[in-house]
This record gives sequence, C-alpha cells and structure tokens, in this order.
Amino acid sequence: MAGIGQFDFNLFIKILPDLARGAIVTLKFSSLSIIFGLIIGTIFGVCRIVKNLILPKIATAYVELIRGTPLLVQIMIVYYGLPAAGINLPPEVAGVLALSINSGAYIAEIIRAGIQSVPKGQMDAARSLGMTYFQAMRYVVLPQAFRNILPALGNEFIALIKDSSLLSVIAIAELTRTGMQIYAVTFNAWTPLLGVAMFYLMMTLPLSKLVDHFQRRIGGHESP
Amino acid sequence: MSLLKIVNLHKRFGDLYVLRGVNMEVEKGEVVVIIGPSGGGKSTLLKCINMLEPPTEGKIILDGIDLTAKGVDLNKIRQRIGIVFQQFNLFSHLTALENITLPLRIVKKIPKEEAEKIAIKYLKKVGLEEEFASYYPHQLSGGQQQRVAIARALAMNPELMLFDEVTSALDPERVKEVLNVMEELAREGMTMIVVTHEMGFAREVGDRVIFMDGGVIVEEGKPEEIFTSPKHPRTRQFLSMIL
Ligand SMILES: Nc1ncnc2c1ncn2[C@@H]1O[C@H](COP(=O)(O)OP(=O)(O)O)[C@@H](O)[C@H]1O
Ligand SMILES: [Mg+2]
Repeated sequence: MAGIGQFDFNLFIKILPDLARGAIVTLKFSSLSIIFGLIIGTIFGVCRIVKNLILPKIATAYVELIRGTPLLVQIMIVYYGLPAAGINLPPEVAGVLALSINSGAYIAEIIRAGIQSVPKGQMDAARSLGMTYFQAMRYVVLPQAFRNILPALGNEFIALIKDSSLLSVIAIAELTRTGMQIYAVTFNAWTPLLGVAMFYLMMTLPLSKLVDHFQRRIGGHESP
Repeated sequence: MSLLKIVNLHKRFGDLYVLRGVNMEVEKGEVVVIIGPSGGGKSTLLKCINMLEPPTEGKIILDGIDLTAKGVDLNKIRQRIGIVFQQFNLFSHLTALENITLPLRIVKKIPKEEAEKIAIKYLKKVGLEEEFASYYPHQLSGGQQQRVAIARALAMNPELMLFDEVTSALDPERVKEVLNVMEELAREGMTMIVVTHEMGFAREVGDRVIFMDGGVIVEEGKPEEIFTSPKHPRTRQFLSMIL
C-alpha cells in the first residue's frame, strides 16, 4: 500500500478516466458560466456607460458587490442562502448561477474598458448614418470592443476554469472534488492531486496559447 | 424656402461656451465653405446640424422641419444629412464594401445584393476600383479611406452633405484626389457645407464663404469678396496667416 505522499503509477493510470470525467464536468460548468457571464457582463458593461441616471449606478453596485466578496461566499449564499428565501436550487444550477454572476461582474469591467477603447468617432459615424444607439452598439462599437478584449476574455475563461474548483464545496463532481474523493478512498493524496493539476493544465495551457495569439494579432494591426 | 436654416444657435459644453448665436441659411444646391481658426466652433456647428451634438439653444430647420423640436425622429432625419469627418471614421472591423452596405442594410433595410450593387456604384463614383471593395480600412491609404467615407455617406442618398476638414489628415499628395470628388459632387448640384483650410477649393467651388471665430459668424460673402477685400480685421488677420 502506497503512503499518503508517494506517487503510485498504477493508481495514476487507474484514476485517469475518473479525472477525465471530472475535467469534463469542470469544462461544462466553466463554459456555461462564461457564456452566461458574457451575456450578463455585456448588459452591465453597457449599462455602466450609458447616459442615464440609474443604470450606471445599478451596474456599478453589482460590480463592486461581486468584486468585493469571495467567490466561495457567493457560491454558498446562492446554494445555502437562497433556500432561506424560499428559493431551492439544485447544486448544478446554483453552481452555474454563482459562477455566471461572479464572472459577469469581471466581464462587465472588461466590456466597459473595451467599449471605451473604441474611438468616439465610430459612434458618431454610425449615428450620423441614421443608426439608433443600439444598432451602433450592436454593429459597430461592440464588435470592435470584443476584438480588442478577446485576450482579456480568454484570461477570464482561464480564471473561471480554475475558480470552478470551488464548486466542490456544494458537492459538484468537478475535477477537484473528483481528486479529493479518490484521496478519501485510497488515502493517497499525491497521486490524484498531481493528476488533478495535470488536467487543469491541459485545459488552461492551450487557452493561454490562444490568448497569446489574439494578443499578437491585435498588436499587429491596431486601428487608427 | 432654403434647405437649411439655423436660427440663433448656441452650444455650451459645461462652462465652455462654444457657439454664441449662429444664424445661417443654405439654399438647395449651394456650396457654403466655412473657414476660421481652430477652436472656433466649426466642427461643433456641423455636429449640431445633424444633432450629433444637441444645441443648447436655437433652432435647426431642415426642409421646414425643426430638428430641435421634441418627437422628431432624428434617425430618419440623419439619413438626409451626410457627414464626412477629418479622421475618416471608417468602421475598422469592416471592409470598404461592408462599411457602405451596413447602414444601407440595417437603416434603409435594403437587401444584401442590392446594397452591394449600390456600394460598388458609389465606390466607382469616388474613383475606387472594385478590387478595393474587399480591403479593410487599415489596408487603404488615407485618401482612399476618406473616399470610402464619402461613398458611404453618399450611398444613403442625402440631400445635404457636411465635410469637416476632410483633407486635413491626409498626405499632401492625397489631398487632390479627395477635393476632386467633392468638386464633382458640387457640380452635380449637391448642397454642401464644407469646413476647410483649402482656400483654392473655397475660391473655385464655394458659392459663399463664411468666416467663423469665437463661436460666431464674423463675416460672410462671395469667395472673391472675402478673399480679396475682407471687411473685418479678424478675417484679414486670419487670411494673412494662412494665405
Ligand atoms: N464634446 C466636447 N466636450 C467638450 N468640449 C468640446 C467638445 N467638442 C468640442 N469642444 C470644445 O469646443 C471648442 C470648439 O471646438 P470645435 O468645434 O472642434 O472647433 P473647430 O472645429 O473650429 O476647431 C474647443 O475648445 C473644443 O475643445
Ligand atoms: Mg474642427
């Protein structure tokens, strides 16, 4: 029997399928959350800059609230706290909800910076051709903003993949929890944790490469 | 009735008082050239005309419609007024062709194929071969970009065209190709308001020259009057500086 700190190659091979399943769960949760986070973030990012008395205040409050509190606490509030208010959510829904709300706040800031990186003349030109504010945003400003912030969004996705490990506290069988369960059964920590780290890297490293690629492409032809 | 009438136009940006009571009228088919020192409010005036900047006070009347009145559909009105900017402001994520077709499709609701035909027609009109249609703005020279911007505005079929120092950001050898397009347009009878430092253009193409300084119209008249015998000392001083 291998000790707690020993690497057991046979065990490693044996647990690979379980860890792979955990990694897929991790990817599922982070992908869903980045999609909802993008929707939430775009809405609140635009709200932060519109000429309006209340919308920017609401958006700012949301961003500050989320950025000022730990994700772990947010996850627990959604899963354990909401039932107190009569809202019972299955852990999967609570998990995606918490992660989406969390990444939405960070993405809102990225989107706001992205919109502000687009020269004001673009909006002027669009409006002067008869587009409404929303058409100008949708067809002219946001596409350019997204191009500029693709690297930042990629980094946000990487962060989300890692942060989703916190979902283990609400019993979602993602990668980290899978590793912990293997440890609980085999009393070998080193082997599953090494496997867990390896799977995280297999997800994040290609994304980092992609981010680098986008970064270089933006540097390549900066628009006037 | 004049196509455009500006009545007692004032514009403030916070404490900054940029336009201080501008009155002017532009007839159909007229080419009005506005000259004056930088910071005098020329760009602001043009942006007030299509309501990109809402006036603080005063009226902008286009073809009998007061654009400053409540309930006016500005998105409709702006289709009737084309504007070309110093910095071109082409949509940098779209090709030359798409720059022109985008507003045609989403504002005028013209189907894709027809919009592309119109775009090609106007690219040709500003002297750009069809091959440039697929170029992105950063692949075009300044002069070419500015001509695409003119084509984009013209494709909306406006009744009034505003030009804001459209050759100021161009290399000297590219200025002529843009001025030629504008001259051609004037010959065809387009109503135009042109802010420029190109005095040759003002003399030859302008029906009337307006000298603006400090947010007011200081002097206006026929090009030969303004250029050969300016009445106001400030006009004289400005002209002596740039001629
Ligand atoms: N959006 C704005 N906000 C604040 N100040 C502005 C704005 N646009 C123009 N100004 C100011 O108004 C003055 C007139 O500018 P402008 O109309 O661009 O003059 P011109 O085109 O004759 O050079 C300048 O002092 C400029 O800084
Ligand atoms: Mg100007």
